[in-house]
Amino acid sequence: MMGNGKNELMGPLVTGYKSYILIGVLLLVSLPLILAYSTLIITSFANTIVSNPWVKFNFTFDNWIAFFRGELSTTHARIYTTGEILRMIGNTVIVAAGVTAVVLGGSATSAYAYSRMKYRWRKGSLKLLLLLHAFPGVALIVGVYTIYYYTLVKYIPPQSRTLYSFFFVILARASLEIPMSIWILKGFFDRVPWELEWSVLIDGGSRWTAFRHAVLPLVKPGIAAVAIFAFLAGWEDLIYVMIFLPPNQKTLATFIEGQLASGSLETSYLPIMAAAGTLYLLPTILFFIFTQRLLLETMSGGLKG
Amino acid sequence: MVSVQLVKVTKRFGSVVAVNNVDLEIPDGRFTALLGPSGSGKTTLLYLIAGIYRPTRGKILFDGKDVTNLKPNERNIGLVFQNYALYPHMKVYDNISFPLRLAKKPKSFIDKKVREIAAMLQIDHLLDRYPAQLSGGQQQRVALARALVKEPSVLLLDEPLSNLDAMLRLKIRSELKRLQKDLGITAIYVTHDQSEALAMADKVVVINNGVIQQEGDPHEVYRNPRNVFVASFIGSPPANIFPVKVDLVEEPCVILPGGKYCPKGILAERLKNLGKETVLFGFRPEDATLHEVPRHDGIIMEGEVYTIEPLGREVIVTLKVDGNLVKVIAPPTTTGRISQRVYINVPRDKAMLFDPDTEKNLRLIG
Repeated sequence: MMGNGKNELMGPLVTGYKSYILIGVLLLVSLPLILAYSTLIITSFANTIVSNPWVKFNFTFDNWIAFFRGELSTTHARIYTTGEILRMIGNTVIVAAGVTAVVLGGSATSAYAYSRMKYRWRKGSLKLLLLLHAFPGVALIVGVYTIYYYTLVKYIPPQSRTLYSFFFVILARASLEIPMSIWILKGFFDRVPWELEWSVLIDGGSRWTAFRHAVLPLVKPGIAAVAIFAFLAGWEDLIYVMIFLPPNQKTLATFIEGQLASGSLETSYLPIMAAAGTLYLLPTILFFIFTQRLLLETMSGGLKG
Repeated sequence: MVSVQLVKVTKRFGSVVAVNNVDLEIPDGRFTALLGPSGSGKTTLLYLIAGIYRPTRGKILFDGKDVTNLKPNERNIGLVFQNYALYPHMKVYDNISFPLRLAKKPKSFIDKKVREIAAMLQIDHLLDRYPAQLSGGQQQRVALARALVKEPSVLLLDEPLSNLDAMLRLKIRSELKRLQKDLGITAIYVTHDQSEALAMADKVVVINNGVIQQEGDPHEVYRNPRNVFVASFIGSPPANIFPVKVDLVEEPCVILPGGKYCPKGILAERLKNLGKETVLFGFRPEDATLHEVPRHDGIIMEGEVYTIEPLGREVIVTLKVDGNLVKVIAPPTTTGRISQRVYINVPRDKAMLFDPDTEKNLRLIG
């Protein structure tokens, strides 16, 4: 039943000397990536910029402490308060968590409907979803901004506008993720046999009980994968956050971008910026390290029409 | 316990008619088998009774009460699915207790009930395991326990033995029959295995193409098949049926290879009134005997030995009779060689004649 595909995936595809060649090639290809990331991460813990392996440096937490104190420049002048820095991290979490919640709620229910119900335009709209997924978010910005501007000016009182902009950026960013999430989750729902749901109905439950107690527990891996993708999308997003959040509301992405773009790069102390960058990358790195197998299963098992 | 009644029930899936205008009475407290080949509509019929499907037309009554529009959870039924449909993320205990938990029964009551039913089905040592850690037979018992724990008024079983190996199937078959008798519960059992249906059921309902072919007690259905389908579906091996010429010149007779059969009484009259050139002649393999010289009582046919299959308790001899393969169950001591000429003897009252067009048994028309 569920998860049978997992065992098939665990066996090595290539064995013997061929596997060494394969690992060598993969290492070579990913070397630039590994170098860039390790340069960033090591620099954030170093007393100087570690741009090549021959740089001598001392290990220190000073950059991280300085970052949280808001001391970004070489002169250690306090540009932001700790509160502002925490606020900015908090904003990032709010956007990421919000996107996750909206994507999960939207895609789990629609994927269930796509998997379980028959209705007009079911096949057609499924294909349309795929098309929507291929549509770049940037290309939609003008239209989305128009909606944002008119609703904001017409219906939102000035004191609620910050709240509305958060609400809007979460909704807009989530809607970019929902089409693919529906496809992923539909594949998982398709693997849950009908009889399990009927069983709950026979046992005295409602359709909703069946969804919660028999179906959801079995599609947990899919839900987890979709949640991770959505969280990362919200956490990393730059363009939507930059356009829709008011200038005084930063996330990690817009904060770093702001530092690099405003010409303060010359005055910024780069090891401190490396700490900010590492923090920004942290969820991505952690998720991909700890959920490799889950993601592999999602991509191989979840994507079925 | 309740009786179940279907009144002119039809179920369509798109243009496919799965169940066609079925009238059926399922007696209270008895074991009823719905028997038919795959695609005959028997499982659809079961799901209609369960409330998983809504009938396109017709009514379903429980003890005279109309339940046609009730949801499964409002019908108080237990159902054992063919694949058991155990909740894979729940332990056996939680699987069995699930219906009671949904009904919001007190914890102590649930615990008592679960242990009681588990002890009855001898799975009390498995309560801490997950379904994936159980054998097929054990999973089947858990599914049965889950269906029975809420004391349903009807127990529905959808081919519950088909996923088990042959030995276990025989064992559980008799256990299940005994369990039903002990509980006195109304049970409806779907199967494609005619021996299972005959062995377990008080009432057998034979279904094909969404239409009930015959219903009755196992003996009745076996001895007096209403039509060619029932005769050739029930029995192992099933009844031998082949076309023969009719001769109405002196008296109504059918011409057999090496002999002829002239029925008496009502059967003769019906054969004559039918007025057709050929009819279908049939008999059950165990009703015939084989002889090296023709006997002069009963119906005699000539055939030649095609194969001989000794099964220990009996020998199945396949014979070629006028181009048709015919099976006869012979005593275990039977010997013979291939292509040997033999005479098949069938007692007159065991012979069956069917209308070649309607395929109805001439003996039972009227």
